[in-house]
Amino acid sequence: MAGESGCQVPESQTKGKLNLDRLKEIVKKYIDKHHYESALFWADKIVSLSGGAVEDIYWYAQTLYHTGQYHRAATLLCSRKLDRHYAACRFLAAKCHFECKEWQEALNILDMAEVSLTKPSFLQSSINQLSMDADDSLPIRGIESSISLLRGRIYEAMDNRGLAADCFRRALQQDVYCFEAFDLLVSHHMMSAQEEQDLLKTLPLVAQCPEDEMELVRFLYQNRLKKYDKPGTHSIPQSLSPLLENVDVVVNLAERRYYNCEFQKCHKITSGVLSKDPYNSRCLPLHVAVLVELKKPNALFYLGHKLVDFYPNKPVSWFAVGCYYLLTKNFEPARRYLSKATTLEKTFGPAWLAYGHSFAADNEHDQAMAAYFTASQIMKGCHLPVLYIGLEYGLTSNAKLAERFFTLAQSIAPDDPFVLHEMGVIAFQNHEWVEAERYFKEALSRIQSVGYQHMPEKWEALLNNLGHVSRKLKKYEEALEYHRQAELLCPQNPSTYSAIAYIHALTGNNSLAVDFFHKALGLRRDDAFSTTMLGHVIEALMSEVPPIVGDDDSDSLNTSASVVLPPFRPLSFSQADTDDSSLAAHPGDNSSMMAIEEVEMDG
Amino acid sequence: MADISSWDLTKVKEDLIDAYRECSMRRLLNGAKWAAELSSALEITVDPQILMKKACNEEYFLDFDKVSLAATYFDLKEYDRAAHVVRDLKNPLAYFLHMYAEFLAEETQRLDNASDSIGQANYDNTKLRNMKTELSSRHRELDGFGLYIYGVVLKRLDLTKMAVEVLVEAVTKQPLHWGAWQELATLITDREMLVSLALPNHWVRQLFLAHVYLELQLHEEALEIYQTFINTGFHKSSYLVAQVATAYHNMRDVEQAVDAFEELEKMDPFRLENMDIYSNLLYVKEMRAELAHLAHRCCDINKYRVETCCVIGNYYSLRSQHEKAILYFQRALRLNPHYLSAWTLMGHEYMEMKNTSAAIQAYRQAIEVNKRDYRAWYGLGQTYEILKMPFYSLYYYRQAHLLKPNDSRMVVALGECYEKLERLQEAKKCFRKAHNIGDVEGGALYKLAKLYEKLSESEQAASAYTEYIMETERRGVLSHEEISQAYQYLANYHWSRKQLDEAYAAAQKCAEFTETREDAKVILQQIQSLRSQGESSMPARFDDSMGSLTSSDHIRPGEPRTFDGVTPVSLKFTP
Repeated sequence: MAGESGCQVPESQTKGKLNLDRLKEIVKKYIDKHHYESALFWADKIVSLSGGAVEDIYWYAQTLYHTGQYHRAATLLCSRKLDRHYAACRFLAAKCHFECKEWQEALNILDMAEVSLTKPSFLQSSINQLSMDADDSLPIRGIESSISLLRGRIYEAMDNRGLAADCFRRALQQDVYCFEAFDLLVSHHMMSAQEEQDLLKTLPLVAQCPEDEMELVRFLYQNRLKKYDKPGTHSIPQSLSPLLENVDVVVNLAERRYYNCEFQKCHKITSGVLSKDPYNSRCLPLHVAVLVELKKPNALFYLGHKLVDFYPNKPVSWFAVGCYYLLTKNFEPARRYLSKATTLEKTFGPAWLAYGHSFAADNEHDQAMAAYFTASQIMKGCHLPVLYIGLEYGLTSNAKLAERFFTLAQSIAPDDPFVLHEMGVIAFQNHEWVEAERYFKEALSRIQSVGYQHMPEKWEALLNNLGHVSRKLKKYEEALEYHRQAELLCPQNPSTYSAIAYIHALTGNNSLAVDFFHKALGLRRDDAFSTTMLGHVIEALMSEVPPIVGDDDSDSLNTSASVVLPPFRPLSFSQADTDDSSLAAHPGDNSSMMAIEEVEMDG
Repeated sequence: MADISSWDLTKVKEDLIDAYRECSMRRLLNGAKWAAELSSALEITVDPQILMKKACNEEYFLDFDKVSLAATYFDLKEYDRAAHVVRDLKNPLAYFLHMYAEFLAEETQRLDNASDSIGQANYDNTKLRNMKTELSSRHRELDGFGLYIYGVVLKRLDLTKMAVEVLVEAVTKQPLHWGAWQELATLITDREMLVSLALPNHWVRQLFLAHVYLELQLHEEALEIYQTFINTGFHKSSYLVAQVATAYHNMRDVEQAVDAFEELEKMDPFRLENMDIYSNLLYVKEMRAELAHLAHRCCDINKYRVETCCVIGNYYSLRSQHEKAILYFQRALRLNPHYLSAWTLMGHEYMEMKNTSAAIQAYRQAIEVNKRDYRAWYGLGQTYEILKMPFYSLYYYRQAHLLKPNDSRMVVALGECYEKLERLQEAKKCFRKAHNIGDVEGGALYKLAKLYEKLSESEQAASAYTEYIMETERRGVLSHEEISQAYQYLANYHWSRKQLDEAYAAAQKCAEFTETREDAKVILQQIQSLRSQGESSMPARFDDSMGSLTSSDHIRPGEPRTFDGVTPVSLKFTP
């Protein structure tokens, strides 16, 4: 604001006995130099000397605002009814109330003149304002978008997210350069991916930007848009290649890598960014998430400490601390710090999700769901909370509800392979093999469309599940192939080995089956399914009777179903982790452990 | 098989010197040692000019500073530091050092973090997996050494098939790196697989083949190759002598093996490698004094070497101090968890202490390290037999048998299992087979006879017992109970057939044993009383029965005839 006003100053001139212009100049200079007290002193004198010109009062209020005397500034403006007639004064007065968290008052001030503002057509009002501008030399141009933005923030603070989103959108329409509005919309997940794309398309870029900037703005905004709803890549147009090194663009790239589950690469990028710009606020949540994903508690510990020392008022600091405890499985403190992060800024989505994970990892399904529900209300445009709710329902064997939430998640993010995978899992649990296979295959093709050089290890579970479902459909060759791929992706996983062994057992290849069951048991000694199966298979092998027939078969099938679970569960969870950006991946890990235990018990 | 003598020995020597240089540059210490050892055994001088030319290539000076810095860190076992110094360097040598240092860093870290209890509890292979991803993305540009490290990582991750492919590629690109051959050797499961591999035609390949033959229990073939090498001029190589000694040991040719080891000791008195095998040998032969001497000698050389620990473990085991033995085996495993013999021996010790679950763990680990260790499979079979899980033990015995088809102990064990499972036909086959391949412990025939008795196939039983008696007499090792049982059966058998002479002879023998004396007396009396009634039909019957005996006897067609000859003689004396 100060800057904007600064450039308009020279136009103004009111000649008095004293050269007030020079004094005004001085006030603005002091504001620029952050010497607010001096500015305040001189602005006050100017008001008296000029006999209360609107412009001078405005600047006086401005200095009061800068010195944190919000009520004084508001009273100054309102007592003279300036807020009724001048948009700039109205905005400032409302902003003062906003700073004092007096949402309703702020809103009242804005509402009072809303009527007069909206009446004239857009063109006319801008003409009016131009004339007013000339008259008053108040920094008014583009104030409508600022007002819309402020209104949106007030609504958001009042938990009226729908209206808030509308206001932000309006602000952006009024001024496409208003990044703040765009950022709030995107980072607070107010719109689904589709809505975001629509908004971007409808922005009046042509009207407001010079031709050469259009591409820039579109690219930068596009680059910021949702990255987690589907794996993918984003390329930079040739003409903008200097932006390749820009931190924001780099962070966006890292985020994309994160959602593509390429954690190593992501970590490399974020570490690089943070070494140049240690407290980059956009990079930090991502870095925390990736540290959790890669299980580096020591690095996270140190980062958390530094952040809390430097920025005790930022949610991300406490988020990092909470994630550290989550990673080290200290759920009590994890919850404490994560909830601290959420109280500092209610709209900090990652902290809410991590808060949910801290319960989920502890098998506290109800409380986890409550946290996820809150998150889903805060992040309307994000499918992750819904997905997690579905997962929790799935874990509490409430398949119907789980399915409903997955469908909801799918409607928000139709292309997310994680959602497809979870739906496949539910179908699998409902014994709808064909359906499950369809979901899994679709998820797989989504992933493959990214064109990785190496598929991320996260997807090992998907491959294994494809193996399980192919086995159920009696496509043994295919199933084996999937399991082999999974093994390549993530070697030495006992569940993969037992799955392979089981297929060999079913196809009568007993000696191989025995081999693989041994391998599985070597890695996980207390695997009941493998133990029982090994007994059967060895017996069959030794008596050279055709393998498992009749009762035996059905028995083992049941068991296998329970065996199947472990890969799913962990995946589902971890997927969850993966998805939501900053929030932590570790709950996934915990949950995978739980799942395995569960299986063992089942077996 | 290519004729080794036709090779240009100067070339071989050059190769070895080359191999030494390449390996030591890369800190592949064992490969370098192997090459240097062989090279020093080959007394041929080569033109220094040629060597100079090879040594001074440009590649050597690429990133010279960083590489040599990394190498010094490496030598001081600061692996992480070394890896860090040469990170992001593109030249193959630096890249190899980087990956190798990372691998060793991971390896040492895992070793240090390992718990004291046996069995690796869910160890985290993330780092190895990352290395795999990294290496596989560069697969095409890797040189022979890079491929070696890739192969090792794959092997650690149990991706055996890929590991074999990559290692074959590695030895093709760099045949002079013995380490790669060695890693490959551990992955070869049988002869067919060995033949199917497309190995480079290089003189090192012969040594590799010999090494694998040794592991596959094809000792003659191995010995043949080693002999050729020794004759060609490598007779001073301690490596070759040690391999030959191992071969003799595996062939259970104890005398020769002991001789070879003694020779080795003279050649290379401070050598510790293979001393564990020597100690096994001494253990089996129960040469206490020698074993004690060996243990003390090893201990003086280096207390903290796996081989030393193993020797000492064997020493204590021979003195029946099993707990101490286990302690030393455990120490060996702390030093190197991939050290096969310690796992197996520890399994044996636990068996001695009747700690079956620990024994199973130890044996399983041994198999993890090397699937071809028949002793571990056999041990597993034994433990499961104790646990009364016959199917399992059957399976394990069978594995052991497959690995060592000509060892009767496994076959007997198999037969016993089948017997327990009441699958007597199979059991019969096993015992017969055991007998055919030269029964080491000498119980197979008796067991076979017992089986026939159980199946009331009396003729076969009788012939088997007869043969059993002959065998034991020939060997001079007698088990009173079994022998008396055999005679008793024979007496009854002949008596029931009214073959009085044979019955009489057998009963007489029975009377020599306390257990069967009473029964024997009864039969003898009965025979006496029958004899007095008349003996007209006896000779004819006798011939018949002998005939049927011979024909029914599949075991050793030659033997019954001697029996034939013997019995009549004794017959004549008895009345």
